[in-house]
Amino acid sequence: MAVVAAGALALAGCTSDSGTEDTDNAAEGGGGDDMEETEGSGEESEGDDMGGEEGSTAKADLGEVTTNDDNVSFSSGAEEYNAYNGDTASTNSTYNAVVNNQLFAGFWYWGTDGTIYPNEWFGSYEQTSEDPLTVEYTISDDAVWSDGTPITANDYLLTWASSNPESLGGVDALGFDPVSDTFGRYVPEAPETEPGSKTFTIVFPEPYPDWELLVSSALPSHVAAEQAGMEPDELAQAILDGETETVAEVSEFWNTGWLFPNYQVEDEALVPSSGPYTLEGAAWESGNQLALVPNEEFYGPAPATGNLVFKFAAPETHVQALQNGDINVIEPQATVDTLQQLEGMGDMVSVETTAEMTWEHLDFNFAESSVFNDENGGLAAREAFAMCVPRQNIIDNLIAPINPDAQIMNLREKFPFQEDYQEVVDAAYDGRYDQVDIEGASGMLEEAGLETPVEVRIGYSAPNQRRTEEVAQIKASCDEAGFEIVDAGNPDFFEAGGTLESGDWEVALFAWAGSGQIASGQPIYSTDGGQNFGGFSNEEVDEAWNTLASSNDPEVHMEQIKVIEKLLWDNLYGIPLFAHPGVTGFDSTLENVMPTSVQTGVSWNAEQWVRAS
Amino acid sequence: MLQFILRRIAISALIMFLGSVLMYVLTINSGDPLQDLRESRAENRDQLMAARTENMGLDDPWWQRYLGWFTGVSRCFVLQCDLGTARDGADVNNLLLSSAGASLRLVTIATFLAIFIGVALGVLSAIRQYSGFDYTITFAAFLFYSLPVFWAAVLLKDFGAIRFNNWIADPAVSITVTALVALLFALAVASVLGGSLRRQVVTGLVTFAVVFGLVFAFDQVQWWVQPALGLPLIIVGAVAALGFMLVMTVGLSNRKVTYAGLVTIALGLVSYFVTGPILDDPSGWLVILALTAVTVVVGLAVGWVMGGYERRTAMTVSVGTALGMAFLIFMDKLLRGWAGFLELAGNRPVSTIGENRIIPERFEGDFWEGIFNWGVQLVLPTIVLTLISIASYSRYTRGSMLETINQDYIRTARSKGLSDRVVFTKHALRNALIPITTIVAFDFASLLGGAVITETIFGWRGLGAMFRLGLDTVDPNPVMAYYLVAGGAAVIMNMLADIAYASLDPRIRR
Repeated sequence: MAVVAAGALALAGCTSDSGTEDTDNAAEGGGGDDMEETEGSGEESEGDDMGGEEGSTAKADLGEVTTNDDNVSFSSGAEEYNAYNGDTASTNSTYNAVVNNQLFAGFWYWGTDGTIYPNEWFGSYEQTSEDPLTVEYTISDDAVWSDGTPITANDYLLTWASSNPESLGGVDALGFDPVSDTFGRYVPEAPETEPGSKTFTIVFPEPYPDWELLVSSALPSHVAAEQAGMEPDELAQAILDGETETVAEVSEFWNTGWLFPNYQVEDEALVPSSGPYTLEGAAWESGNQLALVPNEEFYGPAPATGNLVFKFAAPETHVQALQNGDINVIEPQATVDTLQQLEGMGDMVSVETTAEMTWEHLDFNFAESSVFNDENGGLAAREAFAMCVPRQNIIDNLIAPINPDAQIMNLREKFPFQEDYQEVVDAAYDGRYDQVDIEGASGMLEEAGLETPVEVRIGYSAPNQRRTEEVAQIKASCDEAGFEIVDAGNPDFFEAGGTLESGDWEVALFAWAGSGQIASGQPIYSTDGGQNFGGFSNEEVDEAWNTLASSNDPEVHMEQIKVIEKLLWDNLYGIPLFAHPGVTGFDSTLENVMPTSVQTGVSWNAEQWVRAS
Repeated sequence: MLQFILRRIAISALIMFLGSVLMYVLTINSGDPLQDLRESRAENRDQLMAARTENMGLDDPWWQRYLGWFTGVSRCFVLQCDLGTARDGADVNNLLLSSAGASLRLVTIATFLAIFIGVALGVLSAIRQYSGFDYTITFAAFLFYSLPVFWAAVLLKDFGAIRFNNWIADPAVSITVTALVALLFALAVASVLGGSLRRQVVTGLVTFAVVFGLVFAFDQVQWWVQPALGLPLIIVGAVAALGFMLVMTVGLSNRKVTYAGLVTIALGLVSYFVTGPILDDPSGWLVILALTAVTVVVGLAVGWVMGGYERRTAMTVSVGTALGMAFLIFMDKLLRGWAGFLELAGNRPVSTIGENRIIPERFEGDFWEGIFNWGVQLVLPTIVLTLISIASYSRYTRGSMLETINQDYIRTARSKGLSDRVVFTKHALRNALIPITTIVAFDFASLLGGAVITETIFGWRGLGAMFRLGLDTVDPNPVMAYYLVAGGAAVIMNMLADIAYASLDPRIRR
């Protein structure tokens, strides 16, 4: 389950929509998406009224918690939970992640601004060597599965094996169907440990900046071993010894045995929990709701509420359901209408708006046919466009009504709500495109030697009201400077064979969802990168990314990010606009509901939600 | 008649078969079942694609895939249906069972309610043609007919769930509201009963007084949170049921039949006390069914014994009265469960989403409270579906009834000196109903389709959701399961309509 947390973040992948992330993109997300995460604890720059300790982005320390027998319900949409193993290619989705997040505990979790916080009650990890990077993980002696079996290195051995490492024979010999093979790729040799041990050590022969995300929670290897007719330690030993055939015997169960095709838990013995809640004794009304119950054997802070109910309801029903108390916490589509509706409900409902780790941007097309290609208009044309895009207007008109704290985003790898954002901005960007400069833009266009009006097709995935309005505002401003902006939004913009691939666009308008990884921007900005749709190419940028990706040192990362951001501004890869606004509505009687910018969504700390008595 | 039915069944089966071929072919050609994988960047993409192609038989020709499905379905004749599996491995048999129950329950209740209310309103507005009542019904019918389902549903959730729940926490009806409700009732009753202006004013005043008094009394005794009918209301209701049965058959003046009905009511009173302990917490619906059967038998017996030469009519009236009274007793017990249910539901009885208020596994109430647990969730979606179909039923019935009333044989009947009651119930209504039966059949099938939106908004995981899932994933098995139910229902309802036609109009049988 290395990917549970990382996967949850990467889930959104490249989103072409503002609110709901669809699962198609989840598959794309696997390894290399986007964005960035901060070391150490960060201050919430939003100044939001968060539950618990003011300003902290970590979970609140609730002290000794006694579980009550209340109900609290949440819905992430109509899709129904269907897999205990959310790490297979076909089950890695937000709707499985929100539930599994409560069933599995791990070494760390995401804070509300993307900071990594350790779960000290679960275990600890430390770097024991820098070259090669070696990390020793220790699982707490108290940590047990809800069936009483201790959580041991065996579980993490299976996690490693399920990523089909080549040293065990690879995918053809093993037959696991994982959503990501990162673990086996960066850690080619089995973790060093003994079967049943509480510690294990993993070694990275190559530098891997995002090593921390690799290991968090694991699936119960003793269940998989028993289902394949083995002793738990026998399986662990087989993995350590590289006995491919023995290990391959569990892949069938790993792939299919932990699914719920009939939306019922048919054998509770197969699905023990290592987290605050469990499926054992849970009530599942197929198609409607799933009520988790507390894990009696849980060794961490006890969950606050006795019944955590996940409702499988379509997003359009959420607002009324919140008002009626059927769902207590919702994350509706962030629109002005929804916000007004929620605010109109009075004291019964609390509303909070946040900035999400998903950001909107305009990317140039560098293909030969495009006016922004260096053979045509080149940098001058890109600068002219950047000068006339009314970024502040767009935010004032479209985002501020939802999130009054919204500000222009001036970076690509850091978000305005992150601690070190300002430091990078100071080093990379001098504010030259903050104000609209029509005259300057006309001048630059003249300098570029293009015949005006210059036709610029802005492509995006339609229908999307907000993007249509963004394009309209850009058109109002840029047409004055000599551009002729064309709204080229269409439904198949992002699809295979769609507009993005065929190259019939000069500027693409879409959003990247932050994955919390450090090096995931590489495929976007380096030459011939898999997500570099516009075909941008700059040797210095490539160089900086290589330096970043081949180091495990946070200081090097920071330094290179500054270099990269500056180069991307100077050469104008594209123009970042804003972080998407998010809206959370919840029953005012609930305590500890803490909206998060991270893709895990507001249910990340659901075990702490409790109704004030 | 038998030959007619057999012929209809044969034709229906053929239609079902051809329809299924068409549906299957359309579904599997409606998109690319591998689309999500083609866009995938998973490293084992090809393996996943191969596995799905193998599972779904994507490489086989269409007729082979269809035959595979058909073979599974044809085993239904030996009661071993195999509807295949959905793309994600879910067993479609299970999927269908869990979703069909909810949808059919919803649609069936809505259809029957719509027929009953719609036909009644249509007949009444035809009889009172060009009266205020007629205009009101016409206006309302067009209003509801043109109502967008999603909008009506959202409004209904606001009033019927959120505001109702807020109100029931501290239920009180102000004098103004009481007066308003009474006034509406008074207007409705006065205009339906008709007559001279003086008579209408008197009916209106009496109705106003009665309704005002009732609502006021209900409010005083907190009826809204601890409702019950009580013996007096049950007796009043039973007498009303007897009256209705008599009006629809032989009229109030027939002594023999009236006595039979009254004896039935008396026996019903006895049984109220005898079955009381059983009904306090029956073990299940079987008990209710058994008691219903007993009721029918008693009704038949009374009619048989007391009917004399009008035995048949007496039996009908007795059974009708007995069932009406049994229903009232049932409702009395049910209403008494409301208070307990309110407590279980934390004073917010109606949920805006879902098929049950409380997860059935966690529900601790008794039989009656259990009915509320799913019953209240049925109310709002049923209202939505009913409102929309009432409109068409009432319009068609009105039109058809007006046409019939203006026929020569109706004039003849009147000139013979027959009373309005006999003319309308015996001669006009029966003939007017013939065209309606056709509409009912079509309507049931279209309601199943229209319920897709209603189901989504009320958070039901019904047939509509299954159908949509199948279409989205280009997966024929769930779509075909939907087809079997929806198509089957359409064919069966049409067949029933034809049979009903035949019994309503003897000429068709030939």
